[in-house]
Amino acid sequence: MIEIDEKKLIRCPVCEAVNIDRGANSSCRRCGCIIYKHQRFTTQKSWAYLITAIIAYIPANLYPMLTTKQFGSGESSTILGGIVMLWEHGSYPIAMVIFFASIVIPVLKFLILIYLLISVKYPLGKDKRVNKHKMYYLTEAIGPWSMIDVFVVAILAALIHLANIQIIAGTAATAFALSVFFTLLAAHAFDERLIEGRV
Amino acid sequence: MKLENEDALDHYIICRQCHTLHEEIPIREGTKACCSECGGVLYRYDSKLAEHGLALSISGLILFILANIFPLVQIEILGHEQFITIPKTVLSLFESGFYLVGLICAFLVFIFPLMIFLIYSVLFALLKMEKGEKIIKDLLVLLSHIMPWSMSDIFFVSILVALVKLIGYAQIHMGVSFWALIGFVVLDLYVTRNLHVYEMWMLRKRIFFKERENDRD
Repeated sequence: MIEIDEKKLIRCPVCEAVNIDRGANSSCRRCGCIIYKHQRFTTQKSWAYLITAIIAYIPANLYPMLTTKQFGSGESSTILGGIVMLWEHGSYPIAMVIFFASIVIPVLKFLILIYLLISVKYPLGKDKRVNKHKMYYLTEAIGPWSMIDVFVVAILAALIHLANIQIIAGTAATAFALSVFFTLLAAHAFDERLIEGRV
Repeated sequence: MKLENEDALDHYIICRQCHTLHEEIPIREGTKACCSECGGVLYRYDSKLAEHGLALSISGLILFILANIFPLVQIEILGHEQFITIPKTVLSLFESGFYLVGLICAFLVFIFPLMIFLIYSVLFALLKMEKGEKIIKDLLVLLSHIMPWSMSDIFFVSILVALVKLIGYAQIHMGVSFWALIGFVVLDLYVTRNLHVYEMWMLRKRIFFKERENDRD
């Protein structure tokens, strides 16, 4: 018979088994995975990925996302430019989808991650009734949807590949894909145990 | 909280949305248990999980193959015709020099979805035959590592967005693969939402634990 404090129980992020928190080197009793390897630098890894993502997000917005070549003359548009163009053409739903996927979701994710990373270190908003676990779950759920824009560009570039009209992906596509990739990594690297201030 | 040994922790579950601790209770066939705090689904009970899973994952694989060999959409602009398939979309990124984006896309829309459904088929086949305790464990670990990286549903929405963008300029014909992809995405969503790794770990325990008890008798 052993006695455990309920607060000492953690969930294995891989197989979801309930485990007893053994601090620095907890390994899951069911799947054997080490539960969070980066114990000694608690938030640094997540910060590093997040900053990389934010840096990659800047060229993603400045460089052209796609270039339309029509009868020899080229025309490039950035993410924002593309959204404005779609809005002016009257395709409001598509403009909204692209706006949400490539502007709202990434920025929201950056802000939530920054808030989470700061709030676990400093007593910021600790007494508020925000469920940080739910916030974290939300970022993980909506995060991948910002890939929409990259996929759309890939599809258009593959589809419109004729002699007279061509659509070519731009530098921003690479930057944007990298940015999304690193935000996903940042979210995965975040140690959920920090939310309760256990570490 | 008192426990007999560490394995007794298997009777508990922590909600994956809000991290509330719950005790697992037996529920009726085909029903699900929800979190009392946030309403998120904790687990389901299905006595024929292996059979259902095997059927779903094999149909998923068939639809995935169909979706990848037939043309996705065909367009007509100024008398020119052009069609794409899913592998061709990724390859065209490589051809135009976008190796990094091409690689990321190849993994997200082709390699990971294929791997997930292959792993599911092997897993459920092994669970059905009640063999390979060690392999099942390794496969389950691998599965939960690559699960968040499969984006076929997002890719499908992107196809719709791209097509709506083209409506004014070109004539669009949907290919066989478009319909196969719809089927695949629906199956993918159903499988990843309803057949959770948690239930598969429990099934594995039920099967091999029972066997060990029988051996002892």
